[in-house]
Amino acid sequence: MTTSTALPPAPASPGPRPTKQVPHNVKTSRRAAWIFAPSLLVSFLFVYVFIGITVYISLSNWKIGTSPNLSLRQPLGGTYAEIVQEQRFQADIRNVVIFTVIFLVLAILGGLIAALFIHHVSVGKGLFRTVFLLPYALSFIVTGVAWRWIFSPSTGVNEILRSMGIENPPGWTTDPTILGALNNPSGTDFLKVQFGIPVALLPIIFAAAWQLVGFAMAMYLAGLASIPEEHLEAASVDGANVWQRLRHIVLPQLWPSTITCFVLLLHVALKIFDLVVAMSGSGPGFVTDVPGIYIYNYLTSRYDKASAMAIILLLLTLAVIVPYLIRGYRKERKA
Amino acid sequence: MRAPNKLKISLAVTAAASLIAATGCSANQPAGSSAGGSDKLEITSWWTSGSEADALNVLIDGVKASKAGLAVDNAAVSGGGGSNARQALAARLQAGSPPDSWQVHPAGQLKSYVDGGQVADLTELWTQNDWASQMPKDVAEAQQVNGKYYTVPIGVHRGNVLWTNPAVLSKANVKIDPAGGVDGLISSLKQVQAAGATPVCLGDKDIFASSQLLESIIMSRAGADNWKKIFTNEYSFDAPEVKQALEDYKTILSLANKDHSAITWDEASKKMANGACAVNLMGDWAYGELVNAKKKPGTDFAWVTFPGKEDIFDYVGDGFSIPANNIPHAEAANAWLKTLMDPKVQTDFAAKKGSIPAVKSADISGLSQYQQEAAKSFASAKVVSSLAHAQAAGAEFAQTYADAVSTFNGSGNADAFIASMTQAQKTQL
Repeated sequence: MTTSTALPPAPASPGPRPTKQVPHNVKTSRRAAWIFAPSLLVSFLFVYVFIGITVYISLSNWKIGTSPNLSLRQPLGGTYAEIVQEQRFQADIRNVVIFTVIFLVLAILGGLIAALFIHHVSVGKGLFRTVFLLPYALSFIVTGVAWRWIFSPSTGVNEILRSMGIENPPGWTTDPTILGALNNPSGTDFLKVQFGIPVALLPIIFAAAWQLVGFAMAMYLAGLASIPEEHLEAASVDGANVWQRLRHIVLPQLWPSTITCFVLLLHVALKIFDLVVAMSGSGPGFVTDVPGIYIYNYLTSRYDKASAMAIILLLLTLAVIVPYLIRGYRKERKA
Repeated sequence: MRAPNKLKISLAVTAAASLIAATGCSANQPAGSSAGGSDKLEITSWWTSGSEADALNVLIDGVKASKAGLAVDNAAVSGGGGSNARQALAARLQAGSPPDSWQVHPAGQLKSYVDGGQVADLTELWTQNDWASQMPKDVAEAQQVNGKYYTVPIGVHRGNVLWTNPAVLSKANVKIDPAGGVDGLISSLKQVQAAGATPVCLGDKDIFASSQLLESIIMSRAGADNWKKIFTNEYSFDAPEVKQALEDYKTILSLANKDHSAITWDEASKKMANGACAVNLMGDWAYGELVNAKKKPGTDFAWVTFPGKEDIFDYVGDGFSIPANNIPHAEAANAWLKTLMDPKVQTDFAAKKGSIPAVKSADISGLSQYQQEAAKSFASAKVVSSLAHAQAAGAEFAQTYADAVSTFNGSGNADAFIASMTQAQKTQL
């Protein structure tokens, strides 16, 4: 009551009347804060707190999934020191890096070519678009089982190769060879795996790229539609040929689509699990093992190791995403 | 400005999609744990396939007969050789809403639940009913952790069985002698190869098939007593017999189908029965799988114990435990455990499941020829626990072994295998 009687004189006072303006702003920002609070809280809790818990578990003595042990392991970080020496861990890191690089190149290039084709084709546009996009609508388990049959060494595509007179068709996912191996470990050194391209991984990369090409294509089709016709017409008038128009007008304007594809496909590659499980499992000598399978295998037997691998996977992702975010942030500030 | 907006929208869509996917996984509701009434019972297991589900129903009918008006909730979870069911169970145990009883492999796997304080001590029930005297000593011991009983055995599987194709063997004029040792086996297999056939079928897309083959060879070379000593660190993986076993394993792997890492254990067993090769090492759950595939025991396929210097029974057990805390229906769970030990129930269960009864007094005369032979061998052979099935040791050691076998399959480096296993013997047992 006292405040209400005290307020009215205020507007009457001389001056630029800042009091009225400030509460309004404060009110809006407060309201905004209230509106955002639940989602901020939820994302803080379910993303950052949980990441924190996983970091803690990876540093703890919690081994068996069903019996928590939250004491810190001494020396600190011993679990990380333990897993980096493992043959399986080293194979997983090699595999996920090779998988990611080749998969991104195949899926993005394939998507670009498919999009350019569909954009310029005059008949059956809708049909082609659906055909390319359809695999993306399926689950990795479904396509994984189909690809497993295709690349099964005793049946599948090898039947065709044999009928063509090829005596020893490839072993596909069962081949433990490492292409272009950089080293040849004795088994007792720190490095326990050959670094190179595991042959067995190639069919899986191909299957993954096949499935995600449609997604990249959809991204590029949207990008192509946003390129103003006038730019291309002006270039044609100036005598630019098809390749020059593609190189200097289309591709630069598709750059944002490429970045989006890159980021979204990258996380598909890093957390790949189901497709590999369906197609080959860990493979002989872990030639097709990936961090996702490692985490799954160790969930019940070594919770700390599974958590440490999850954190390493997170760091791998951050190593690529953070520079991208910083770049975007700088651009925004410039604008 | 278009592109960043598009990016934001697509990121938002992705985020929304993953949120939907995440909420889809939370369907592990504790079914049947409604309050009140001791006339309910909830059982979890990973027995969902045809013969397994039939066998489980024998148990459910048995407990219903012993306790009139009891409603049994069968909460079996399929897939992953039981790992999906165990993940679901772990989540319920953490949440404090366990089922009344759950399926468990004895010894090693049981130990992780004991360490977590999640299974009830059944020692009193065991002594009251004098169950230990009703089964072989090794089986009774496997139900214990630190001298106390925590589970009740329902059936016994054998891991070291060599399934053979009589037609392929006789074409090569080969007979596999179970007393001929590993050397005899390898020379027989080479003879099959010389006759132009593939000697061995293996399907190790799931690595346990290789782990089980290697463990059978190690047992044969080192003997049952040394195998047991591995898990008390009194016998090392560095021993000459183990080194020899690794060499044998490499030889046998070179005699197997080249696509072994692409096919599963059941596909390999069926390949053998179809004549694609001469032999296949697998546990006797393969028997049920082959019979289900309309293969005739004795004509389409036969069996010998994996050759070794003595008769060893690689024991893979099934049993049930009850929770230490928050048990919803204690009285019904007690009736359930007692039902499991009924000799008639064990016989009926074995008839469906393909395993053999754990109690000695169970009547086996109505079981198949294979089961009768297995039961006879179980009574006389040296019984050891399987490592490939996490029974001889805890989950961590078993996983290390599985990883070492995977690595060995790729590299063939015996020194690296021995190094990682001797290290594990020091730190993980």
